[in-house]
Amino acid sequence: MIGNFLDQFWSLTFGGLSLGFIYILIALGYTMVYGVLRMINFANSEIFMVGTFATIIIIRDVFQFTQTSEYATGFRLWLILGTALISAMLVSGILSMLVEMVAYRRLRRMNSGVLAPLISAIGVSMVLSESVRILTDSRPVASPRAMEKKFLGQFFDAGIRIDNTIIVISALILFGILVTFVNKTRMGKAIRAVSMNPNAARLMGINIDGVVSATFLVGGLMTGAAGFFYTLKYENTSAFIGFELGIAAFTAAILGGIGNIKGAFYGGLALGLLETYASFFLGTQWKAVTVFVVLVLVLYTRPNGLFGEALTQTRA
Amino acid sequence: MKKRGLISVAAAAALAVSSLVGFAPASHAKAKTITLAFQGPLTGEEASVGQDELAGMQYAIKLFNAKNKGKYKVKVVQADDQGDPAQSAKVAPGIASNKKIIGLVGAAYSGATIAALPYYKQRGLAMVSPSATRVSITDPADGNIGFPVFHRVVPTDKVQGPALFKLATKGVSSPKVYIVDDQSAYGVGLVDYMKPTIPAGQGAGFDSVSDRTTDWSATIAKVKTAGANVVIYTGYFPQAAPFFKQLRDSGYTGILAGGDGVLSPTFVTLAPASVLEGVRLTAGTVPLAEIDAALEADFAKKMGKASGVYAAESIDATNVFLSCVAKGISKRPAMLKCVKAYSGKSLTGTTIKFNQYGDVAGGVMNGFEVKSGVIKFTGAVK
Repeated sequence: MIGNFLDQFWSLTFGGLSLGFIYILIALGYTMVYGVLRMINFANSEIFMVGTFATIIIIRDVFQFTQTSEYATGFRLWLILGTALISAMLVSGILSMLVEMVAYRRLRRMNSGVLAPLISAIGVSMVLSESVRILTDSRPVASPRAMEKKFLGQFFDAGIRIDNTIIVISALILFGILVTFVNKTRMGKAIRAVSMNPNAARLMGINIDGVVSATFLVGGLMTGAAGFFYTLKYENTSAFIGFELGIAAFTAAILGGIGNIKGAFYGGLALGLLETYASFFLGTQWKAVTVFVVLVLVLYTRPNGLFGEALTQTRA
Repeated sequence: MKKRGLISVAAAAALAVSSLVGFAPASHAKAKTITLAFQGPLTGEEASVGQDELAGMQYAIKLFNAKNKGKYKVKVVQADDQGDPAQSAKVAPGIASNKKIIGLVGAAYSGATIAALPYYKQRGLAMVSPSATRVSITDPADGNIGFPVFHRVVPTDKVQGPALFKLATKGVSSPKVYIVDDQSAYGVGLVDYMKPTIPAGQGAGFDSVSDRTTDWSATIAKVKTAGANVVIYTGYFPQAAPFFKQLRDSGYTGILAGGDGVLSPTFVTLAPASVLEGVRLTAGTVPLAEIDAALEADFAKKMGKASGVYAAESIDATNVFLSCVAKGISKRPAMLKCVKAYSGKSLTGTTIKFNQYGDVAGGVMNGFEVKSGVIKFTGAVK
């Protein structure tokens, strides 16, 4: 078994890494909102789901690809991928902002406590997934393949595939942009201020609603990008895709320390790799068990996750 | 998981409302109104299976109502069990105690069927399932839990498991078969019935993968380590397509095969045609389009969507009841008797006649192959 594992080590690792980067981006959606509002935005999984559909609509309907089309190459390929990425991010980002305005804002103003927004979030999540289910006739939907999945090279025994490479590099760039935004910009500073002490931030003249909207927008943009990368890698989605990925990303966020951007990064990577290795060693049926055993063990020693809970202390 | 509980409550409420609507008096003055029920997953993650079967049932009824205008008007009460036994046990009492319902097409899933059976047996409601293939429901060795109300128009997994293995390895000189199930009772059962028929040295390994899996890299690594040249997936099409796609993308060139859960018109839309080329499938049915292209066209026109898996069985199951309705039957005991004595032709032309346990005798497994993005019928598996 060990010998087999070593044979497959690099190909498992590459698969786990690109999955991990998708988790990171979704986990950022949870973590940004939690950092600012101390609230779990359960609708984030559906924001992701909508991002996958936005990607498919661009590739299938706007660029007219089918399952029998020729693959795109050169400039046209990058145009298609770029358009799909930006559209998925915008659609998810704006949807995320709308969800906040419709489902959470009034509750927050009325100081409703933690339970009402929780139920509101679950409600939004159900409305979104059931609406898409009805629109798609309960069927899974596939993205036609626009880009040939060729191997760029060989690393030991493992082939390095183009889609995994694109995901890892682009996700790293997006993560870098997010960290810079939170740490270096005026809005980032305001977000950190609200996260640290909302009342003091209000007294300092910070527009809380604006900051919260920006947080949801940024979280949604990241989650939408995850939707694009997911579709690029797996090419399939359904109205219920958010549940599985959402739980995984939420776990990653908790593992790293929810509310902490750095935590989402390492939590996502750890989870992607852990899931892949555990599935190989113990059988795929033990994947979830292994993940949660590890999660509980981590929380025993570090109850706030690997990197603690505070968005404010983040210096990634 | 809280989320799921809430969905169930909402679904139960929705069902209550839809049932009430279902009992509204008929507008046709003379036509005799007959009420049948459908039970299967209509919302939730398995909804596509139930919605497809319901469409098959409604199609059969549409034809019947048009033919018997002014004489009979058949209505359908929809019972949504989400494919879940717990949900099934909640909706079944309501269906069982509604005396207007004289027959039930379903349940779609075996687990949900077993959970609902006590209620239907108590009230003598005849059932004809288009797709519950679990052997134990009609197996006398298992206490024959479905007797006397349960019937089905599909051959069981006992027939399908060995047939699937046979089809997958056909023409392969030294097969090394890797078998993956989806952890469902259906998938695991198929593998259990397949296992005793696997010749020594041909089994390369097994994996059991949740039907929510989206990343298959671990299973693919195992397939490669085992050096398999045949891979069989005993699950449903939404997972089969991504699995096969990821397997092919990783460089696997051997044979891919699956059971009736994979045989859906949607399956071929979920992956590039080049990836699915040559995928082998078994099923107790034939897709409507394969039976008659005109039939599929008419179905699509009347129902507003293409037919799904088990469409033919759903029509067959409904026709069992409709033939009894046409004989003037309007009460449960008479309906049960009529179903038990039924003998008629299925859409494919085989005879549907139930044995004492409710199984249809002499079920045949058919083989299919994907060619240029279309599922082609290749004849019975022998």
